[in-house]
Amino acid sequence: MRKRINRTVKRRDFLKLGGGVLAGAALSKYLPRTVGQSGAVVEAAGFSQVAATPADIHLVGTDGWIYLPGEIAIPGTVNQFYLPDDFAPPGLTAYMFGFRDVTGLTNDQVFAQKMKCQATAPLFWVDEGQEYRLKLTNVGLAMRPDLIDEHTVHWHGFRNAWPIFDGEPHSSVRVPIGRSLTYFYQPFHPGTYMYHCHVEETEHVHMGMTGSVFVRPAQNGNAYTYNGKTYHKFAYNDGDGSTGYDREYVINLTDFWAEAHWADSHVQLPDWTNFNAEIFMMNGRVYPDTLAPNGGVDGNPFNLNDANGDAVAPVGRPELQYQPLTSLIEVNAGETVLLRFINLSFSKQSMTVPGLKMRVVGTDATPLRGTTGADHSYDTHTIHIGSGGTFDAIFTAPENVTSVKTYLLYNRNFNRLHNAGAAGYGGQMTEIRVHPAGTLKAQSDPNTAELA
Amino acid sequence: MNKTARLKPTRRSFILGLTLAMVALAFIAYNVIQVAADGPVAAPATGIVCTENASSTFTLTAKEGYISMADGNQIYMWGLAEGRDDFQYPGPVLCVNQHDTVTIVLHNTLIEDTSLVFPGQVDVLANGGPMEPQFDGQGNLTSLTEVATANGGSVTYKFVVNEPGTYIYQSGTNPGIQTQMGLWGALVVRPSMGPDYAYNDATTQFNADSEYMMMLSEIDPLLHQAIERGESFNMNDYNARYFLINGRTFPDTLAPNNANWLPGQPYSSLSHIYPYHPVDYPLPALDRFIGMGVEGYPFHPHAFNAQIIARDGRLLQTPLGQDLYEERFSLPINPGQTSDALYAWTDTYKWNPDAAPGDADEFPVEIPNQQNLPPGLFYGSPFLGNQDVVPVAGHSFNQCGEFYHIAHNHNLQQITGWGVVLIGQITFTRIDPPLPNNCP
Ligand SMILES: [Cu+2]
Ligand SMILES: [Cu+2]
Repeated sequence: MRKRINRTVKRRDFLKLGGGVLAGAALSKYLPRTVGQSGAVVEAAGFSQVAATPADIHLVGTDGWIYLPGEIAIPGTVNQFYLPDDFAPPGLTAYMFGFRDVTGLTNDQVFAQKMKCQATAPLFWVDEGQEYRLKLTNVGLAMRPDLIDEHTVHWHGFRNAWPIFDGEPHSSVRVPIGRSLTYFYQPFHPGTYMYHCHVEETEHVHMGMTGSVFVRPAQNGNAYTYNGKTYHKFAYNDGDGSTGYDREYVINLTDFWAEAHWADSHVQLPDWTNFNAEIFMMNGRVYPDTLAPNGGVDGNPFNLNDANGDAVAPVGRPELQYQPLTSLIEVNAGETVLLRFINLSFSKQSMTVPGLKMRVVGTDATPLRGTTGADHSYDTHTIHIGSGGTFDAIFTAPENVTSVKTYLLYNRNFNRLHNAGAAGYGGQMTEIRVHPAGTLKAQSDPNTAELA
Repeated sequence: MNKTARLKPTRRSFILGLTLAMVALAFIAYNVIQVAADGPVAAPATGIVCTENASSTFTLTAKEGYISMADGNQIYMWGLAEGRDDFQYPGPVLCVNQHDTVTIVLHNTLIEDTSLVFPGQVDVLANGGPMEPQFDGQGNLTSLTEVATANGGSVTYKFVVNEPGTYIYQSGTNPGIQTQMGLWGALVVRPSMGPDYAYNDATTQFNADSEYMMMLSEIDPLLHQAIERGESFNMNDYNARYFLINGRTFPDTLAPNNANWLPGQPYSSLSHIYPYHPVDYPLPALDRFIGMGVEGYPFHPHAFNAQIIARDGRLLQTPLGQDLYEERFSLPINPGQTSDALYAWTDTYKWNPDAAPGDADEFPVEIPNQQNLPPGLFYGSPFLGNQDVVPVAGHSFNQCGEFYHIAHNHNLQQITGWGVVLIGQITFTRIDPPLPNNCP
């Protein structure tokens, strides 16, 4: 082995040598070696947390059922279908693995969420430098008592992760049925990320254990004026307001290979190198369901559960009970919207918005600036996003809108713009509705809109 | 192999067991090789293995051979070997210096004509004249360039490497079949600034002990079988089943360079680094990516974004010399393209197993109980440089409390192989505790 590094004193030795707690706390935390691109790097200030601090979010890993329209026949059979799955409960069609937000539920309620996973997994966000704890409990797979699969949470893209909090099972620990692990995150790099289970990852990711997470920059709350508009919310620590926005929407892209989902509910295994997805989803739904409102109490997807701990369906859409997140983008005339694109499908997607220009300001939680600040953000109407990648793109809605004006955001890979091969529009498509100025209140949470 | 005293009576447990057993073998052998590697001719266990000489003159022999997949399948290949060396896949990593005149003599022992093209090089000479496409008497294109004829022919290519960087050489004859069969390799041009720079720019300096080739390719076994049988293959039927890094599937990717149980697959892709330290370990590692698939692979390193500094042998910078480096956690590794990427891992959190309650470096959550939470094969403990006792019926290949992070293709169907999970494009980065440490 070629080792050629200088000897160093271990930090523990340093402390023993009398460097003292002060120096230990102040000097020995080297800054992450992520240069200018990642914005102002804040030193990890103190680790004062007490063990067993309550989790900020509590997820379960389990299986469940969702609603995807359309029919996919099993080749060589008569009237047998991969989709809808013949085991599906009434109203639902597709077998999934996934997470559910069970924060604040009693222990009994938590375990009662077995076979009630949601698609997409709960969206959460963390401020730059914030200490954040995510507790994962594995409540098992109801349809597959023969499987005793563990789960983990992998925060995909988290820089300088310790393996214990990375979730990749070779290098860390897994959470078996009935047990829990609390993951700790203190992110220092703003931007858009994703998370997913990493146990038997080809299967568990494809089956739906996929979600969105992003990190808000320390610059938030300061005012910067850019192109004549003053912003208080930003994608990155840009120092000039160039990544400022009024509203933000997460667009999490996944795909669905019906054979694999059917195989899992029928105690079968596919050959993954035959992978051939038929359905392409946006935040766990297909068009036009992408336009349906958020689920949750009063339509708040971040307060999802009723008093018994079960998910509250979107108004008028009981079959979307476990697909709580809307992709409908609503904005007042002249406002600026940040789209956080995430691709957790197994192929590249091409998301396009005719009629509006998007400015791509970041990819993979990194502002598009060189290490000395050279700007390489760009205007486009289509982004090409590979699996495991994220794009931060900003558009400004037109001014002087007197009645609602609608734009479409969809996958330019037209062979994916349908629901299970049926005629008409489907798949990864949603609408951007521009309202007359003052129609909507200021946005409180991502993917939400309220009338003023 | 019984991982954690649990039983899981499904096919997947068999496959997982098979994979774990192979990992076990690889790691046992890895440790053996560590000792053996002290011999004078042994290549380092990890990192780039350069084929190089003072005159930058290479003889490459196109010949047949076999490689083995982690599910046990043997694949018939055509490969390029240096001189009279044995078959290997991929071809040798040729390392030369900027401004060298490179001479490559191609000998062909195969049953059809072959040739080489050098994307990114200019003014290439073939047999002394300008390299040109070849046509038959009717004007049909027969080869992208001058060939070494079947069954013993030769051709000599010559060019001056003016620009540093990472390049590909690959077959220019029947390339759809021949590159898939294995007739390709990497060309690394060292800049005038020195061998520990990727380009002639101070920001491209890397740790010379942590330089890695990352050559991503794929195999359609039915194509190879057809060629082995002398049959034709319809490229419309092309469907890759195996996905490789440096010519190997996981877990063979972790085995050392020149592992003797992989005789035709000499190149490891296990990366080995130390935590960033401003004085003791200030320089990043360098990955030189080559995309040899027919579509892009989105390559995802855990725990550090890779900073792409160059594509196709050209530094990413403005005309004024400002860099346009891109930090990515999903690196687009596109067909026929090369990317050079720097990376480092920083111990930002420095949690300490000996911290007293309330200390600044106290572990931030309840320390996981290994009896409750089954550990992975490479896991040592939550802490860098610290090893927990392996639980009863558990197994660990962790040597000294080192950390591991996976790096893999995020088209997750491509981390499987022909029905077997976890034998695709996967490798790991090993992060050792700072020296002095207890690592072997
Ligand atoms: Cu899982
Ligand atoms: Cu991932």
